[in-house]
Amino acid sequence: MMPLLRKAGAFVVRDFRIESGYKTAFLIRIVDSMMLLVLFYFLSQLITPHNSSALRGHGYSYFSFALIGLAFARYFDLTLRMFSESIRLAQVTGCFEAMMSSQTGCITVALMSSLYGLISGGVQLLVILAAGVVGFGMDLTHLNFLATAVVLVLSLTIFVAFGVLSAAAVVWLRKGDPITWILGGFGTIVGGAYFPTDMMPPWMQKVAMVNPITYCLDALRMTMLQGYSVVTIAKPLVTLLGIVAIFLPISLGLFTAAVRKGRREGTLTQY
Amino acid sequence: MFTALSNVTIEIQEGDRIAVMGPNGAGKTTLLKLIGGLILPAKGDIVVNGFSTAHHSADARKSVGFVLNEERSFFWRLTGTQNLEFFGALDNLGGADLRNRIQELISLVGLEEAAGRVVEGYSSGMKQRLALARGLITEPRVLILDEPTRALDPIAADEMIDLILSRIYSDSRKTLLIATHRMDEALKLCNKVLVIDKGRIQAFDSISDLKRDQITLSQYYRRALAVEAV
Repeated sequence: MMPLLRKAGAFVVRDFRIESGYKTAFLIRIVDSMMLLVLFYFLSQLITPHNSSALRGHGYSYFSFALIGLAFARYFDLTLRMFSESIRLAQVTGCFEAMMSSQTGCITVALMSSLYGLISGGVQLLVILAAGVVGFGMDLTHLNFLATAVVLVLSLTIFVAFGVLSAAAVVWLRKGDPITWILGGFGTIVGGAYFPTDMMPPWMQKVAMVNPITYCLDALRMTMLQGYSVVTIAKPLVTLLGIVAIFLPISLGLFTAAVRKGRREGTLTQY
Repeated sequence: MFTALSNVTIEIQEGDRIAVMGPNGAGKTTLLKLIGGLILPAKGDIVVNGFSTAHHSADARKSVGFVLNEERSFFWRLTGTQNLEFFGALDNLGGADLRNRIQELISLVGLEEAAGRVVEGYSSGMKQRLALARGLITEPRVLILDEPTRALDPIAADEMIDLILSRIYSDSRKTLLIATHRMDEALKLCNKVLVIDKGRIQAFDSISDLKRDQITLSQYYRRALAVEAV
């Protein structure tokens, strides 16, 4: 356990040291999120809950709905992308081969290369939520902390699984992967990040039903805006657990196979 | 799929210092990467210190230090010391042991003054010395060097050879594999020479045999590649 923790610490320290050389990048990302926050705040002034049964029945504002969608969809998108991006970056900078020649396996390198991004993205998420509460009056008084934490951990695990799948595609195909596009861009919109899925046309609602983001965001809104407990959201939790149970082993297996193929063909460090 | 090496069977003894020579594209780097576990063989097996690189790669890698010739194999925004700290952690080192080892290696490769500066400002020679320090961080039994003097000017190249020879390979139990185009490098550092061409081993002999037969390394190399002397 200790060597793993030590390695995790080394990756976080490495990325913090590198990132601290680009101080404005973090600020730009925060400012970018704030701009969206302002946009959704003014947009929410035009939208009443009567337009959507999802909003009407639950008693929270469009701003609260959209803010949860915005903040978490961005975090999930980051989680999804960082595995493939960290591998691609290491390939491009030439450090991937050096890491591969160490005593640390490829999966560990891929997972740990993303730790700093998860932490940094988590800080951004908290800043956005805090700005929503303090600056725009978002109501989080019903927040059930434990249930939210459970949903968040499961949701992140789902996106880690898909992120690893995306990294497998990068190693295997050595070009852009379709997974990030499907789940990251299209999936965010269809998953109800910015507007309720019941407002969508029927075909989009069908897509939303097979989109993991939909279940993650729905569960987060229940626990953060309506105070649902772990027991009362048992059904969505089982769904999230099911997605984890199916996709995590598949993605780890495919990534291992992709790395093995890359090592056998000598293409692991090519991009 | 491109086949870089075919029908290669070699046995390397502890303490061997082998110069892997051959024209560009002969398969030298591929052979070294196979031994270092960076590439897996499509057929056959590579066994390092009793461990198969395909089936027990982590155990096999414990014995091997790989000195890459790729200048960009470091994080340029980190200092030399910070790079070694990171790569040391990947090799399961940490705490005071790692710090002491890094100090020792920095002193060994003569980077005391530069160790606290970011790698971005290092010369090619300094990066190569840092790569050597990284390859030695676990005190490996097998050290693999892929053309360690390729990007260096003649003086820096000589210094690198002297460094390897005088300060690192005083331990006769260590095994050295070095891909090189330089005859002087091979003669100074190695006791055996392996010539590869078109993915096949053309010759593998000890340098003392060459001396006994009164042929120069250059003649031996040309004969192995069936190249007429000029």
